[in-house]
Order: sequence, then C-alpha cells, then structure tokens
Amino acid sequence: MLHTVGMLNHNRRQKSSFKIAPALWAASLLAGCGGESTTPPDPGFANHSCNEIETECVQIAGGDTQALLDATNALEPGTTLILGAGTFALENGITIRNADGTHLIGQGIDQTTLDFGPATAQVNGVDVIGDDFLIQDLTVLDSPKDGVRVEASKGVVFRRIRTTWTNAADKTNGAYGIYPVKSSDVLVEDSRAENASDAGLYVGQSRNVIVRNNVITGNVAGLEIENTQYADVYGNLAENNTAGIVVFDLPGNPIIGHDVRLRDNTIRNNNLANFSPGGTVSMIPAGTGTFAMASRRVEITGNVYENNQTGDIALISGLVVDSDPSVWELTEAEIVGDWQGLGLMPGAAPSSIMNFRTENVVVAGNSHTNSGTHPDTSRDLGLLLAILYGSHPIDAVIYDAIGESSIDATDIAKNSNDNHICIGGNSDGSFAILDLGTQMGAPGSPFLKNATAPLAHFSCTELTGGPVAAVSLASAN
Amino acid sequence: MKGRFALLALALSACADPEGGFDASKPVVVDEAPAELLSSYNLFAWSPEAGFEFNDRVVPYDLNMPLFSDYALKQRAVYLPEGTAATFEPEKALEFPVGTVLVKNFYFAADLRAPEANRKLIETRLLIRRDKGWDALPYVWDEDQQDARLAPSGEVRPISFTDREGLPRVASYLVPQRNQCQGCHAIKDDDGKVVMTPIGPKARNLNRDHDYGGATGKVNQLEHLASLGKLDGLPPVESIVPSYDFSLIEEHGLEAVPAEKLEAAARDYLDVNCAHCHNPRGVQGITSQLFLDKATQDTFHLGYCKRPGSAGAGTGGLRYDIVPGDPDASILVYRAETEEVGAMMPLLGRSVTHTSGVALLRAWVGAMPPVDCN
Repeated sequence: MLHTVGMLNHNRRQKSSFKIAPALWAASLLAGCGGESTTPPDPGFANHSCNEIETECVQIAGGDTQALLDATNALEPGTTLILGAGTFALENGITIRNADGTHLIGQGIDQTTLDFGPATAQVNGVDVIGDDFLIQDLTVLDSPKDGVRVEASKGVVFRRIRTTWTNAADKTNGAYGIYPVKSSDVLVEDSRAENASDAGLYVGQSRNVIVRNNVITGNVAGLEIENTQYADVYGNLAENNTAGIVVFDLPGNPIIGHDVRLRDNTIRNNNLANFSPGGTVSMIPAGTGTFAMASRRVEITGNVYENNQTGDIALISGLVVDSDPSVWELTEAEIVGDWQGLGLMPGAAPSSIMNFRTENVVVAGNSHTNSGTHPDTSRDLGLLLAILYGSHPIDAVIYDAIGESSIDATDIAKNSNDNHICIGGNSDGSFAILDLGTQMGAPGSPFLKNATAPLAHFSCTELTGGPVAAVSLASAN
Repeated sequence: MKGRFALLALALSACADPEGGFDASKPVVVDEAPAELLSSYNLFAWSPEAGFEFNDRVVPYDLNMPLFSDYALKQRAVYLPEGTAATFEPEKALEFPVGTVLVKNFYFAADLRAPEANRKLIETRLLIRRDKGWDALPYVWDEDQQDARLAPSGEVRPISFTDREGLPRVASYLVPQRNQCQGCHAIKDDDGKVVMTPIGPKARNLNRDHDYGGATGKVNQLEHLASLGKLDGLPPVESIVPSYDFSLIEEHGLEAVPAEKLEAAARDYLDVNCAHCHNPRGVQGITSQLFLDKATQDTFHLGYCKRPGSAGAGTGGLRYDIVPGDPDASILVYRAETEEVGAMMPLLGRSVTHTSGVALLRAWVGAMPPVDCN
C-alpha cells in the first residue's frame, strides 16, 4: 500500500524509492533490484548497483535527497541502499534505526557525496543504531555534529568513505568524523577522516575493533581509541593533525580500556595548530605523535614517527588530566565488560578499582626522525617540555612516572617500574622519565632524560596478563 | 484542495473517507499500517479559529512540566480502545494497552502573548501502541490547515513569532524524521533491549486539574481517567507528588518559585527536558555519564564537579558539567542556553533558547553551596 502513497505524493517526494513497486512503475521510478535486473546500465550506478546485491536493495539516484530520506525512514531490516553518483543536499541528518543489516553504498569517495552543509538542525550526518551496518564508497561533507556516528551496534563496517569539512582548521567544523561508539566488532578501513574539530576517527567505548589503512589528516586529534577493549590499529597514516594517534580512558566511564595495538602506522608532521573549540582535546599541544593516557595493555610497535614537533610518544597517567583520584574510581558492580586480571589499582571504597594508571605498555621497534624540536608552548604540556628541554630536542618517548614508588633523576637502575612500562628497540628512540608529578608543582625539577637502550628493567616485554591480544571480528560484512 | 482529497480517498481504500468530515461520535480508526492522512484516524478536528474538537473517545490532557520545543504550543490527548485501561506506574510513564494512541499537536501563534490568535498547526505526532511496542508517526499539516499527511522523512521549517517577553524570535523548527523519534523515545528495558517509550504521561506529570468543560468541568486528570475506567490501580492522587507546574514560571516569572521548591522545579525541568537521554537506561546519553533523571541522587552523575565525557565543542571552554554556586562556569547551563550548533542541548527539538527554563537552571545552580571544583 505504501507505494500508492508514494506515487500520489510524486510532486512532493519527487521520486519513490519504495521497493515493492508494481512492474509498471519500476522502470521509471526504480532501477531494477533483486531480480528485476532487466534495466540497461545506468551511468549513475557505474560502480555499484542493485544488480550485484542478492538481498533487498533500493537504488537512489544521485541528488534525490527526498527519495533517500523516504527510504531510510521506511527501511526493512537487511536492505541495501545504493546511492548513485552525485551530491545529496541535506537539511537534516540521515538517521537509521530498527533496521539491522542496513548497507549504505555510494559509487565512490569522489563520486557520491552526502552534503550536510544546508543542515540547520544540529544533527550528525549519518546517525545509526543497528547491527551489521555497512557504509562504503561515499563522502560525508560538512555535518553539523559528527560525520558518521554508529552507536550501540554490533558488526559495523566503514569502508572507503571520507568524512570531511570544507574549511580546514575551522573550529565550527563538526566534532568527530568517523565515530563508532559503544559498539562491537567494528572494522574501519581504507577511509579518510579530515578536518574534524575534535577527532577525525574516534573509536569510543567499543570492543573488538580493527582500524586499518586509513588516512587521517587535518583534524585536532587524528585517531582516538577511547575506553575500548581489543583494538588493532595498523597501516594508517596520521599526518598534519594536532595529534596523530592517541589512546585513553575517560574518568567515570564504566568500560576499562585494554588490549590496544598501534602497529605499523605512519605518524608524521602532526603540527597543526590546535583549533578545537573546547574540551579535553583543546589541551593537546600541536606536534604530538601519540599518547597513551589512563590506558593499559597497550602495544605501540613498528610505527614510523617523523617530525612531530612536540614529541612522538608520551605515556601519561589519567591524573595529569584530572588529578582527583575519586573521579577514576569505579565499583566492580558498575564496570561494563571484562576487567579482571588487569591488575587494576584498588579504589578507596570496598570492591572498587581506579583506572587512572597507564600500565603494561610496550613501546618497541618504532622509528623516530626529527621530532620534538619545537614544542607547542601555547599548551601547558608543551610549555613544560620547552622549559625542561631548552634548545634540546625532546626525547622520543617520555614517561610521566606518576605512581612509581621510586624515581631517580640520575640513575635509571634506581627507578622502579611498577607500571610495567617496556621500552626498547626503537630506532633513534631516546627515552626520558619526566617525573611529571614533581614537575607539575615545580617546573624544571631534575629528571632522567635521554636514557638509551638497554634500559635494564624497562626493556621488558612481559605484561600482566600476557601479550596484548590479537583482534578477530565476529562478523565482517 | 478538496479535489486532491477526493482523489486520495479514491486511491486509498484503507483510509476513512475524509469527505465525510470529522464526526466525534464515530469510532477512532487505527489500522496496523500507518494512515497517509491524519483525518483517517477520526481523532480530532482542528481549525485555527475554533481550535481542537476531540472524538468522544479521546481524552485531552496537559502536563505539569512540558518538554520545550522551540516555543511550540502543544495540545495532547490520548485514545484508549473501548474496554481497555492504562495501568498506574509510580515512576515510569503509565502502562498503556495495545491500540492506545497518544496524540501530540505542535502549533504556533504569531504572538505567544496571545496564544489563541493567529494559530497555525505545524505537525501532529502519534505514538501508537502496537503488539510489538510503540510506533512513532509524524504528520505534517497542509498550508491550508485542512489535514495532515504522514511525513516519515520530516522537515525543517523556519518559524517567526513573538515570544512571551515580546521579543521577535526565529526558530529552525524541526519536524523529526520517523527514525529521529527514537532519539528521545528509545530506552533500554530490563533486558538491555532498546524499546520505544512515551516520555510525558508519567503520573507525577499528569497529576493536575484539567477543564474538560460540560458537565465534567475542571477535575484532576488522573482521577478523570480512572472515573472513565481508563486507568487502573490509581492510588489517592494526594500521594503522588506532582511535577512542578512550569506554567507558573511562564506566567509569573522565576519569582513564583519559592526557595524551597527551586531544587524540585529544576530537577523536574531536567527530568522532562534532558533525562530521556541522560539517564542510566538511555541509549545515547549514557556516553556522558551525566544522569539527570529524577531518580539519580549521586552528585557525580548529576554533574557536580564532573568533567564531561566527550563533549568537545559542547563545553564552551568550561571544565565541569556543574560548578555548584557558579552557573556561568557550568557546562550544563551553557549547553541549555547556547544556540551554537554542536553545543546546544537537547540535541533535537531546540534551535532557540528557552529563556525561562534557563533562568530556572541558573537559579538552581546559583543557589547551590559553592564548591571549588579545581
């Protein structure tokens, strides 16, 4: 019955996309889908069409925004929407709900564009809650908030998409580009995340995640892994962001992030002046390669770091961002996901833990070239480093040593390694123990700098709980 | 226009015949499939001059604390199928039987100081209780105010009006897409499954008088529903603490709120305007760990000296959700007040500042014993 409605509303809706159209209309209104594949090839669907899809499928001509919104608001589970070449001008977001198995496929990153520039409502570009979601081969432009936000979903694929904003380094750009959050079994690959005023590619509070072979440029934070369990991040290029690739937990969040691998990525020239309009990310100095904050069981291996002018890798306690330990305390009852066996610090209350420590981290086999030469003194941490290092380049790997039982500014052997920080085998990768806890109160205090390998007990590889786990996804679209 | 309706009536055999017009004595028609035209349900009639006329089986109601929607005026009503009744719930929305239709009309007046004049009905949202749960259906009214049609893909419409203070305002009024209804109406049930739920018709929010006219006159809404046999299990209404009546603030300003009621009024405002997302069973709002539902008592999750989750631009450069005693330093106040896209809250349904609502939040935070969160 719905198709009748669509036909009668032809003037308002321009074009029907309801898939149960009688054959008479199918030729003019729909390109044939799922069995009605007699229509001649359409140049607007040169790369993908419903002909290649065996399940429910709807083709939407490039630019037919009304048909696109009608289709997304009448989705049956398991439907593929193929978008033709062209630009869809959108005044409102694309919202997908109650339709597991939705696939949204364009003709290519430079062929199909969802342009949210006309949107006045403060919406995300593509906003999804639904399992087995796939978005592929299109660009999401100028979203008021996040580019593509997929939340509370299991089995999510972002493939060959781009999220971007027209103006580079504009604080009014949306916050996140590619944003899976509270989701599991997430794959982000071969995509581009550009010009976000917070993070280009942000994985939040998720589990079982692979992020590979993406290009991340022009954002404040390039790639962020937040409160996430089992993430494998490899083959990505993070360039010309304020910070390249970072890992952290937020205070008060009930998911304990752990088992994160950053490997074989290229993280270079991340010297973009911080243009975020606010929030924690605004504290990050330009020229930051990677930091791990309030994180555990993290491997940073085989990456190429180059010309990040504040520094390449920082391992810092959550207390640097929020010094009140109580905000990092969680009762065992409220924790979501696994946490036992991580050796977490007990909290003050019975049956509670603290998650501010950065511990069980391996930093090995990375290469470092020409970084740490001009720290960004407009931010506190950059200014502190400038004070500590003067005209000398900042060491490739810096460790705040907050929470260590013994810190000695002259002899590395006298330093404790309670947090199990393992550093070694980094090409041109010098190491410093900053004693940041002391520095924050008395900037310029002595610290142990430019320690070269072997670093005695810092040359470990053994982590509490064994090696950082490999990631395998339960489903891959 | 009439001709177009005739054509539709001809084509849509499942719909009631709109040529027959509204008849308050005829049954309400609720089919499994959404009707294309709102008139097909026979729920009510509307004209800008005469206002609303309801089907005899439809019960209009008001809320003590309404959700702010860009100053849209609202008219609400509920239809329960013959022989069925809702069940009282102490905290949640009343439990409604299958077949229930919740009707919410959104209209504007050219000048909110004279809300009965120059009215224009923009949209009617229906929440229909199906076997599987609630179904949300947005209907947009025609320019000539004759009927509304199903608009699953929503609309954004600039609307100019004069507010209660006499100031000219322009809202980018959003008629939500069907899928966007879930942005506010989705919640996790006891099993963690995401389900749709009504927000407004909680007992505390319904606990007020309404003038039904005629022989019934002005009576308590909950007692009226019970007397019609449409509400089971209602305890004495004196035992139900009503939500704060926001119309008192709208009419008499913040001075109308006695100091001892300030906390309750602000918490009721947050409960209705924010807690549909910001509650422990919220789908999207839990990312922030800021819980503004009436039941939340611990000050961390209420935002006291709490850093935001991933608010980004939403912080306005401020550090804590609430700095007790200092509304200007509180992100919660900033986000409720700002008209910056990307920062303002709630996410949907507000494009202009709710002046009196923000004044209430400011007064509440300002009255807290000051704390230096740093």
